Amino acid sequence: MIANPTAERRPLDMLRFALSELKPRAPFLTPFNVISIPIILVGLVILAIRFTQGLGSVTNLNQEFPWGFWIGFDVVTGVALAGGAYVITFVVYVLKVERYHPIVRVTVLNGFLAYVFYAGGLFLDLGKPWHIINPMIGNSFGYNSVLFLVAWHFVLYMIAELIEFSPAIAEWLGARRMRAFLQSVTVGTVIAGFTISTLHQAGLGALFLMAKGKIHPLWYTEFMPVLFFVSSIFAGISMVIVEGTLSHRVLKDHMDAEHGEFDKLIFGLARGAALSMFAYYFFKALIFIHEHHWNLMGDRWGNLYLLEILGLTLAPCFMFAYGIRNRSLGVVRWAALLAIIGVILNRLNISLIAFNWFSPNHYYPSWQEVWITAMIISCEIWVFRWVVTRMPVLRKATGFD
Amino acid sequence: MESYTYVNIFETKGLENLLVLSFLVMLVFLVRYINRPAKKR
Repeated sequence: MIANPTAERRPLDMLRFALSELKPRAPFLTPFNVISIPIILVGLVILAIRFTQGLGSVTNLNQEFPWGFWIGFDVVTGVALAGGAYVITFVVYVLKVERYHPIVRVTVLNGFLAYVFYAGGLFLDLGKPWHIINPMIGNSFGYNSVLFLVAWHFVLYMIAELIEFSPAIAEWLGARRMRAFLQSVTVGTVIAGFTISTLHQAGLGALFLMAKGKIHPLWYTEFMPVLFFVSSIFAGISMVIVEGTLSHRVLKDHMDAEHGEFDKLIFGLARGAALSMFAYYFFKALIFIHEHHWNLMGDRWGNLYLLEILGLTLAPCFMFAYGIRNRSLGVVRWAALLAIIGVILNRLNISLIAFNWFSPNHYYPSWQEVWITAMIISCEIWVFRWVVTRMPVLRKATGFD
Repeated sequence: MESYTYVNIFETKGLENLLVLSFLVMLVFLVRYINRPAKKR
């Protein structure tokens, strides 16, 4: 049943309608379901063990490596890859580049779900998860701490993204008056959300400033906040390209003509990614020269650094440029994929691989940590699919302007 | 491993200035490159 309201629905009707929408629509035994359901079920068992036996029962974390895969990948990397939402909303609502309007809702939805599930990842990683409320209520928390800022920004940005997406929920429910109000606050929310987002993208980099002496000098720099922010721009755009390409293949039946023309937008997105990557590369080069890092080249850390900077930053940057000039969607998509891998490697290098690099002990995630990450991603895709197949995300709602 | 290292910012200034200049010049070329479609063969 597709929402097609011509008049305001009564609250009870909205509730009845929302409950009726919970029923599954598509065939149950799809390839994705067959893979994801066992992942989620086993993940629930691991979570039960984690919450009853403690972190040490399912993770390889210890006093030397207190932050592991859930922080390094789910939170630090995931937030960078969710950066597409603030970039696209800024471009559409502030710079008024209307041709990207069809992808605003799906990008905001992706960003919102990413934050909800990655904050969930943070919840799992706390030794005493019920203390997660402390930064909100100011209970024994350092107000000058970067973590305090990041915690508040996460919550505020999730609320901002929910408000940005809420006109779609109002259209789905047929709540015309609510939708008119939510539309009226969108631009203000976008400006607030953009400000908060840029600050906490940089804030995640600032979290690692305290780890001077623990992070390998090739990755440690006092400019980490700036680098985290700039890299989140092209990480987010690359993610929009990859996710858009995938969802336009898988969810084609749920799109109208306007939303189906994603390919035409890819080159514009790629232009933004190429220019921001180019600037990022030169930032890295400047820091490299300024910090006298030539003597750190030649060993395996130097090789890893070169792989990240030349192979997974500069190469995709030029691939984007080549793809735009030659109108090659294939090259642009591969460039986006390489750029995403580059950002993942960068965040993992800072938070895990090059962290305590001098120590004889090394941290490797346990299979349970990797499994839970797969479970989080599977759950996110389930929710995304449910929303997109019901709400006007990839199509215009009938009966609304 | 925490130790204080003194970085002489003037030692590398010349190279840094050259790098910034080359960035600005190459940025112009990059923008021109991506804004002009390739000639069809």
